Amino acid sequence: MFTYFLRRLLYTIPVLWGVVTVVFILMAVVPGDPARIMMGQRGDPATLARIRADLGLDLPLHRQYTKFLGELLRGDLGTSYRSNEKVSIALSVRFGATLRLAFWAMVVASVLGVTAGIVSAVKQYSVFDYSAMFLAISGVSAPVFWVGLLLLLAFAYNLHWIPGVGYGDGQAIYLILPVLTLGVRPAALIARLTRSCMLEVLNQDYIRTARAKGLSEKIVVIKHALKNALIPVVTIIGTQVAELLSGAVLTETIFAWPGIGRLAVEALVARDFPMIRGTVIFMALIFLVTNLVVDLSYGFIDPRVRFE
Amino acid sequence: MKREMKVFLLFLLTFGVLCMAGAAFAEDPVYGGILRWREINDPPKLDPAQATDTVSSRAIYLMFDSLVENDSDGKGVLPALAESWEGSEGGTVWTFKLRKGVRFHKECLGEPTANGGREVTAQDWKYTFERMVRDNSPRAYFIEMIEGYQDFVSRDETGATEWSGIKVLDEYTLQFKLTYSFAPFVSVLAYNSFMVIPREDAEKWGKEFNFHPVGTGPFMLERWDHDQKVVLKKNPDYWRKDDKGNPLPYLDGVELVIIPDNTIAYEEFKKGNLDAFQDFPDEFYVEAKATYGPLFQERPWVGTYYYGFNNSKEPFKGNRALRQAVNYAVDRERISDLVIEGRYPPGKGVLPPGMPGFNPDLKGYSYDPDKAKALLKEAGYPDGFECELQVNNNPRHKAVAEAIQAQLMELGIKLNIKVVDWGVHLDMCERAETQMFRMGWVVDYLDPDNFLYVLLHSSNHGSKGNYSFYSNPEVDALLAEARVETNWDKRIELYRKAEQLIVEDAPWVFLFHYSTSLLGQEWVKNMHLPAMGDYSTPLYNVWVTKK
Repeated sequence: MFTYFLRRLLYTIPVLWGVVTVVFILMAVVPGDPARIMMGQRGDPATLARIRADLGLDLPLHRQYTKFLGELLRGDLGTSYRSNEKVSIALSVRFGATLRLAFWAMVVASVLGVTAGIVSAVKQYSVFDYSAMFLAISGVSAPVFWVGLLLLLAFAYNLHWIPGVGYGDGQAIYLILPVLTLGVRPAALIARLTRSCMLEVLNQDYIRTARAKGLSEKIVVIKHALKNALIPVVTIIGTQVAELLSGAVLTETIFAWPGIGRLAVEALVARDFPMIRGTVIFMALIFLVTNLVVDLSYGFIDPRVRFE
Repeated sequence: MKREMKVFLLFLLTFGVLCMAGAAFAEDPVYGGILRWREINDPPKLDPAQATDTVSSRAIYLMFDSLVENDSDGKGVLPALAESWEGSEGGTVWTFKLRKGVRFHKECLGEPTANGGREVTAQDWKYTFERMVRDNSPRAYFIEMIEGYQDFVSRDETGATEWSGIKVLDEYTLQFKLTYSFAPFVSVLAYNSFMVIPREDAEKWGKEFNFHPVGTGPFMLERWDHDQKVVLKKNPDYWRKDDKGNPLPYLDGVELVIIPDNTIAYEEFKKGNLDAFQDFPDEFYVEAKATYGPLFQERPWVGTYYYGFNNSKEPFKGNRALRQAVNYAVDRERISDLVIEGRYPPGKGVLPPGMPGFNPDLKGYSYDPDKAKALLKEAGYPDGFECELQVNNNPRHKAVAEAIQAQLMELGIKLNIKVVDWGVHLDMCERAETQMFRMGWVVDYLDPDNFLYVLLHSSNHGSKGNYSFYSNPEVDALLAEARVETNWDKRIELYRKAEQLIVEDAPWVFLFHYSTSLLGQEWVKNMHLPAMGDYSTPLYNVWVTKK
């Protein structure tokens, strides 16, 4: 298992290098000079040239690339063109907020989704099943922006139960609405997947055997069926975690949540190359780590899975 | 009965006096409270030397001071950290007498500052201006007319150790020597990049000064939660006093609350979680104006919204009749009413109404399809023509463009709209790679020079402001003459002549002039929207009656 882990870790290096290179090339070919944007609408060509030199934008592309790679190897993600903030510091400060949001959204989505999926499967074609699946389909198809606005209007501005936007001083109450907004889609996906996987497993011969042995329905469902149905569910939970981390942009914008999603969007608009590169590399890293964790967790869920 | 009547009258009188006193009392400033001001994004720069956007400027106005400041009615400049100034005969030497007893912030982010709250002297100003050049401030070139600028910029080659045209005559006297007479010089110094900063803190933090800003303004940085809020607290040593000699500011602090989404920000305002809402979005404009009545402040802004023709390329190059035809083909009033709730008054020329020197009698273009048709014929395009209009990515610009597209279509002019993002738009416009482009301009300093010379003088082609690549030697000569003319009335005459010539040449489609708006809660008192725009609203003399 350790060698598997090590090998997977080594795989991440070329993948990351690929990501870094693609992002670098993309940033180099898109039109729009960052120094020009920094100057604003009116710019003196001489000052513009000095700013470009200051940022290293006057170097030939290959020199910019090697310089960038060299800095990256030293763990330096550069400094934001827009705010002069160190990219690594900006990311670490904002990541906490995004992680907190994504973590709780995933917890809520997993608990709700898995529970609803199991109950729907066990009580197939019941009122609960129909209602849960109707909600799941709505949840998958409802745009995040719309859900967020709806929740805000209802709970913050009409009922006044929850503060509207912001991070507060980190109080849990500020988390409720963004977590629900962000959690709706994954909850719906997990519920549908859990239901279908559970139904498939519940129709297997060994479940019939377990029932025939006289085991209680609870033990049959939880111990025998759920464990086997869980592998695809864990996979989707894993991919959703990464998606939540990177896709929290809309939720963060609606709720004025100070996370990396908003950081990335503002960096894009301002052609803040170091910040864009930093966020992309960071997101790529998260995808890789999450996938690794998901793969490793298969072994714990189902001992038949062997790492080679 | 008589006695009862007397008692009753006395009671009424006492009650009336008490009520009046109460009312007068309510209007008296009260100390304390925090003002929560909405911002759309995190301010990118809190170092005045580096800021080029209005969000940063808002925070900078609260923490820093300049030598002079813009009069809130846009009628020139007023003393700020300079008590008085005088220009030499010919306008090449300017001497500023500094206000005594102005102190830098002694605290930033809850820590003592490196300067320790000492007094500002002329040396600090010299340092501030030189630092702008050393740190490649994008706005340092605004004062390139100060003698020695070029030498100091190229100090690696010239060996210049200081900016020779800036002299410290004594602790409280600062002198600028200009290489040529430049009439708007004092107005330029009111721009928000030219704010004094202490050497000790600037040197301690270097580029990080952006995150540890220290100035002399009414508020000091207390906390900066990125993408959430910038918390400022009252500067207890602020130099300004109110009319009765009471110390300012009245507020305990200001919070710049960052809420990116307009809908949510408006809901937060309605709920009372925000005290002020600047740059009001179009979608709630009508509702907010009706709901909040006089609390909704609005005034013309010193800005102009136009479509530039690329005067260096076909079909507009050398074809004045064609450019005029497009100007006659646009019904500005209808577009303003239909697309932007009538918020932008139609424009006749270059200068906006809020600008000193604005000419109300300028002969501009009205909507006249028949004239447009005749001019099209004269221009050699009797059946119309096809061209591309480039606009930057913003729903408002796109909506205006589509309305104009429909109007021009009636005359056979086919306008193809291309939407690109801001950076690309700027790049392409300054390289003359468009046929027609949308652009807007809001003044940096309150002088017609900042519009006419910057945007239409042939020496400013491209990135320096003349994106339409317009060139007319007669206009050039008038604008150059106005730049050095020290008599205000003569200058205005020159500008009016130049503007009329420009309008006749029609290098742009003159569309609208901007307006600026600010909405405050009823408990926010003495908040007045200035001509320079919502983001520069002074808050040092504002108070709140609800804590």
